[in-house]
Amino acid sequence: MNFIVARMEDWDLAAKAVADRLSPGSILALSGPLGAGKTTFVQALARALGSKDKPRSPTFSLVRAYKTAHSAIKQLVHVDAYRIESEQDILPLGLEEYLEDPATVMAIEWPEQISAWLAGQTHVIRMQIEPDKGSDVRRIRIA
Amino acid sequence: MPANPRILGIETSCDETAIAILEVGKTLKIVKNLVSSQIPIHQKYGGVVPEVAARTHVAESVSLITEALGKKGMDAFDAIAVTSGPGLATALRVGIESARVLAMLSGKKIVGVNHLEGHLASAWLNASNRKKWKFPLLALIVSGGHTELVLMKDFCKYKIVGQTRDDAAGEAFDKTAKLVGLPYPGGPQIAKLASLGNPDAFPLPRPMMNDGSFDFSFSGLKTAVRIAWEPWSKMEDARAEQAKRDLAASVQTAIVDVLVEKTMRAAEKYKVNGVLVVGGVSANASLRERMEKAIKERLPKLAFLPSDRAYITDNAAMIAAAGYWRIKKGEKHDWRKLDARPEWNI
Repeated sequence: MNFIVARMEDWDLAAKAVADRLSPGSILALSGPLGAGKTTFVQALARALGSKDKPRSPTFSLVRAYKTAHSAIKQLVHVDAYRIESEQDILPLGLEEYLEDPATVMAIEWPEQISAWLAGQTHVIRMQIEPDKGSDVRRIRIA
Repeated sequence: MPANPRILGIETSCDETAIAILEVGKTLKIVKNLVSSQIPIHQKYGGVVPEVAARTHVAESVSLITEALGKKGMDAFDAIAVTSGPGLATALRVGIESARVLAMLSGKKIVGVNHLEGHLASAWLNASNRKKWKFPLLALIVSGGHTELVLMKDFCKYKIVGQTRDDAAGEAFDKTAKLVGLPYPGGPQIAKLASLGNPDAFPLPRPMMNDGSFDFSFSGLKTAVRIAWEPWSKMEDARAEQAKRDLAASVQTAIVDVLVEKTMRAAEKYKVNGVLVVGGVSANASLRERMEKAIKERLPKLAFLPSDRAYITDNAAMIAAAGYWRIKKGEKHDWRKLDARPEWNI
């Protein structure tokens, strides 16, 4: 599945399509360079899942959780591995505990930083956001 | 509590392990103020790493507490103030556990303090600020994880009137710095280069500057900086060097413009008597100068209350001061129940 994002509304179209593919326990591995729009996408995803909250950058706090109002998905956990260099450093974040909840989905930015942990997980959807050179157009690829 | 209580402050919420003893009487006396910066460790990683942070806090907090208490031991303080949140849970717990043990052994009062209230109190550590301290006040808290405008109606009575909707101002400095290849932490690097650059060279957006709210948005700046830097990113000549300085100056001005404008408008709306500028980003000279100038020109009756440079970054003297505000209001916590509150809002 591919999307081109040229206007703010395009984020919502892409997020709706992703939301339809998510089920409780899904992990969305969200790749893309600095400033690609990963957090902007997660904001659109929260909207698509009926959340009243607007996710903010989790870079500093590493993990933030938001309530959603979807028929099967009740919580969106937003993780940012940008500052994580060593895989063991994610243990104190308790990501597995979040995933034990039967109505939770997780979106992880900078999944490359925790690739070994991610390899041990099921229900991983990989998504790449690439900005076009010289413009603010983005290309989204969902595997 | 004695007439001049001494508060032991403990701070381990993020980068710094810090221990302080503050004596509060007619004047404030900072008896001890120990900070063991972890920046060199994080420089290696390009950011703050929770487990590394927690481990280092354990080793450092024990040695700093031992040093702060000295021969007096438990007689060196009358109450304990410890940062309970917001921050990294694993790092916070190192300070909290130390504080709980000291409270249990000494039988003295303990209060859990909000790290952001600590930043507010950092401005109160300055004697000349205390003279001009008259509520209501407005505080701009700016750091790597926070960008908040806080209306202070009284000690311990606050309302967030504006905050970032995406990235914090400090994060905007760090990430735009990284986009142009500067090392961590990016803020001081941008400021250094900015002094040699032309702030009008690159037209960058001022997000939400005129939208009427007191909220901020800095994430769009990354896209603008990426596009602006693309033509230069592969070049290494003198012109590219100057472009980097110009871009640093343009980034800094874009961020400071928005911070100053929103603060001025909120100060006007809430009819405050003074403006605090606190948190790590308040070390930025351009922000301090331009905020002071804007107050003088636009709201000259207002007091400008920045924290002293020594208390801008995370420290425990500010935690002790905020703890004193809480204790004076009659607050105290049960050491058995004190725990980390990673998402605590002020």
